[in-house]
Amino acid sequence: MNDTQWPVYEVFHQQARGEAHIHVGSVHAPDAQMALVMAKEQYCRRQACVNLWVAPASAILATDYQDGDMFEHATDKSYRESWGYKTPKTIKKSKASDKESAK
Amino acid sequence: MIATMETLNDLDAPTKSAVIDLLYRLADDAIIIGHRGSEWTGFAPILEEDIAFSSMAQDDMGHALTFYQMLHELGEPDPDTNVFGRKLEQWKCASLVSLCSKRDWAKSLVRKYFYDVAESLRLESLAQGSLVPLAQLARKLSSEKKYHLMHGHMWMPRLGQGTDESHQLMQDAVDTLYPHALGMFESTGADDLLDQAGIFLREDELRKRWVAAVDKVLGESSLKINAKASPVYGGRSGKHPDDLATLLDGMQLVYKLDPSAKW
Repeated sequence: MNDTQWPVYEVFHQQARGEAHIHVGSVHAPDAQMALVMAKEQYCRRQACVNLWVAPASAILATDYQDGDMFEHATDKSYRESWGYKTPKTIKKSKASDKESAK
Repeated sequence: MIATMETLNDLDAPTKSAVIDLLYRLADDAIIIGHRGSEWTGFAPILEEDIAFSSMAQDDMGHALTFYQMLHELGEPDPDTNVFGRKLEQWKCASLVSLCSKRDWAKSLVRKYFYDVAESLRLESLAQGSLVPLAQLARKLSSEKKYHLMHGHMWMPRLGQGTDESHQLMQDAVDTLYPHALGMFESTGADDLLDQAGIFLREDELRKRWVAAVDKVLGESSLKINAKASPVYGGRSGKHPDDLATLLDGMQLVYKLDPSAKW
């Protein structure tokens, strides 16, 4: 069956200046300007919004869920995380001793 | 130099009745266009537009409520009594908003656009006016009108220049509604007083501004105006098309069963 609907535009809203735009959903529209007008009422009529983006869904290139295993870690990657280092423990220890000497 | 009035109590008696007359026109136009808009809920041609149109209908009803509340502060009946209890000839809305446009999407869009341009100009005038509570209210309400106008400006050229069919439907809507739109600017006895007090522009001045704004957008949308169209008056003095009687019968039905019922 042919899709008789207008193209899909993905909608991103920003809740406060300086914050990242977050994907909130999509609308059908024949062009970007109309997508923006529609998106305003679909996604900003309840929650705070200071700025709105729309982008044609066709412009997005996505990974395939079948390739999802490439996101998995086959070996220990804790060195990529702050908690993988001893520094936090050292800081804790030094803070404790500071407290002790302040008494 | 026009004196600023900080509160509604600063109005002298004749100016107060002029403000009451104005508020009824603003409120009645807003609640009826809102009701007409709500008739599309669940029926608009596309889902996104259904939500947008319904949401704008709620905005318009919200504007009406604030005007009815101010009327109540000026000693008029409370908003519910006013909306659900008033007889046909007591309404002051223009025929533009009273006309039924069910199942005619082009007419509904053009009508909403004609109304939005007028309401924006009215709010702009009030916002610069000398009656502070009304000026503050107008400034607050105009933020929502900005979107309504954006919505209208988006649709007009797209349908006016879309297909032969969409163009024809839009042109028919303009031909039918333009005289009724001009009727929004029917002058009332309040014109001179409101103008002298610096509260609100005269209707003929507002009409000039409306015609200039609308003519431009219609031109850009390949839609023509009959320059000889004569305004349909009567709404401001309680003479309404049958469509309004039918609307009120439906809108007031439940309230009239038992006006004292608590909701």
